Amino acid sequence: MAFEAGGSMDAEAREVRALEAEIAALQRRCQELPAPGEKPSGVRKSCQKLPQSDSEGWESSKDLRSHLGHLKSELSFLSTLTGFNIRNYSKKIEAVTNTEVTEEGTTKVLQRHRLSGNCNMVTFQLEFQVLEIQTKEKLSSAITDLNIIMEPTEYSELSEFACRAEERRDLLMFFQSLHFFVEWYEYRKHTFKHFKEKYPDTVHLPEGACSHCMEIHSTSRPGFELVVVWRIQINEEGKVSPKLDLLTKVPQRALVLDKNRVIETAPSSFQTLLGVLGIEAALDSLIKLLCVGNN
Amino acid sequence: MEPVNTLCQDGESEGGVLAHLEKLEVQMSRSHKKSEELPRVQRDENVLRTKIHELRHLRDKLRAEVKRRQARVKACSANVETNQTAEISEQQVLEKQKENVKAILQAYRFTGLSGKLTSRGVCVCISTAFEGNLLDSFFVDLVMEKPPWIHHHSIPVFIPLEKIAAAYLQSDLQRFLFSLCEYVNAYSGRKYQADRLQSDFEALLTVPLQRNSLCNLLSFTYKVDGRDQSFSFSARLLYEDLTATLPTDVTVTYQGMEASTHWEEHRASHEILFRTKPLHQVFASFSKEVEKLDLSLVS
Repeated sequence: MAFEAGGSMDAEAREVRALEAEIAALQRRCQELPAPGEKPSGVRKSCQKLPQSDSEGWESSKDLRSHLGHLKSELSFLSTLTGFNIRNYSKKIEAVTNTEVTEEGTTKVLQRHRLSGNCNMVTFQLEFQVLEIQTKEKLSSAITDLNIIMEPTEYSELSEFACRAEERRDLLMFFQSLHFFVEWYEYRKHTFKHFKEKYPDTVHLPEGACSHCMEIHSTSRPGFELVVVWRIQINEEGKVSPKLDLLTKVPQRALVLDKNRVIETAPSSFQTLLGVLGIEAALDSLIKLLCVGNN
Repeated sequence: MEPVNTLCQDGESEGGVLAHLEKLEVQMSRSHKKSEELPRVQRDENVLRTKIHELRHLRDKLRAEVKRRQARVKACSANVETNQTAEISEQQVLEKQKENVKAILQAYRFTGLSGKLTSRGVCVCISTAFEGNLLDSFFVDLVMEKPPWIHHHSIPVFIPLEKIAAAYLQSDLQRFLFSLCEYVNAYSGRKYQADRLQSDFEALLTVPLQRNSLCNLLSFTYKVDGRDQSFSFSARLLYEDLTATLPTDVTVTYQGMEASTHWEEHRASHEILFRTKPLHQVFASFSKEVEKLDLSLVS
């Protein structure tokens, strides 16, 4: 019995010692961890370790924001300055391996670009390729393919011009001419609006302010009408210029009475007038002519 | 060391696990005293068994407590991690936006006008090109005061910068830049054509190309090969419109031989060609023309 007791007592004693050891270890562990309910200062400590090693990360996020802000304001400035608002742009680069060794040290790089944005009321979408050839002497870049999509499509002059630019792969001419076209467009709109406001009864804009023609009606002599057609042309070299023409609408009887052929010669006289007075003054005098009858 | 027992709000073990341990120790010493009456061996056995029982109980409680606290720490740090991840992905978003804006700023050079803000204003870069061939760039450093003025620039001296600036700089900056663009770009284009003529068609030029720095006055003598004879033409190209890349005035004359109606046609057509097509492209078409000429001689 005593033997047994001693044996079991040994086992029990061992168990006691084991339990006490485990408890001691658990107590230590418990003390390391923060108790529930208290502010996890221990956790905070380990948390603080993370950002500290990454403190550059947190700081540069602020830096990033200010840098981005600066870049955005630069973009906004450039957009206002040029009149071009580029909203999307992406570029892919492909190195063209020159397998045929024509010249030593020649590398060719093909870039594919996608660009979209607007210039005032015209939106554009461009896709083009640039081929860069680096020889020993120099680096040359050329546009090897150009695709232009423009809205709105009702300006026939613009679509013709876009085709020409595509053919010649002349991206720069596209932008430069687009700028001048839009400038003339705005000027025409402004001028027509001005005359409509100044002579509301005489001047009629059949298509509104964006109209490409202005009708001058004589209220005292109904049936007499002058139509000024103002087109914006873009020539082969991309030069933009206004082209104004005068059309007359006159009753048959008046034509018969017109011995001096004033009406017949009106269109060419108008061209002379334009050359002498410029657009605004010429239009003004033309309107006043018919207005004389109105008042 | 935090006073765990005072702050623990766990209802189960009020006063904390360690305090509980203390209590147990007190209990044990009490029971120890109580069991002093029993026979020593039995007493010891009882004591041990009780002790083991209590210790096991305590150990289990401690284990649970440790588990609970560990879980809390894990949850808390996971929370921090999510915040960290959110922070990092926000950084990525910002980084991407930044790269995007930078790329768009670069893309402006394709429009001919790009630039960078400076401390006093803006440094505008004018990029030139001719029929898709990207050529030189020039810069104009502007101080944006009222009125703006040019700090420095790389515009060649023969471009009428002062005239353009006097006309538009103070009143319409955009107009100034686009007008300057026209002049600079046209010069670049004319220069390109002259360079190409010299490099690609040197063999055809009997008298080398003479040009001025503005590249708006060119003269050269070239030969055209017929079947039996070779003829020399002298050309003089004047580009009065400095914003144009095609000449306004072209004169082609014979060089030291008698005129013939045959060659007169060519002389006249060459004049038209020079006025309507870029210089190097005209020369490229000459070889084709000679072929046509050969055919006409046969008939």
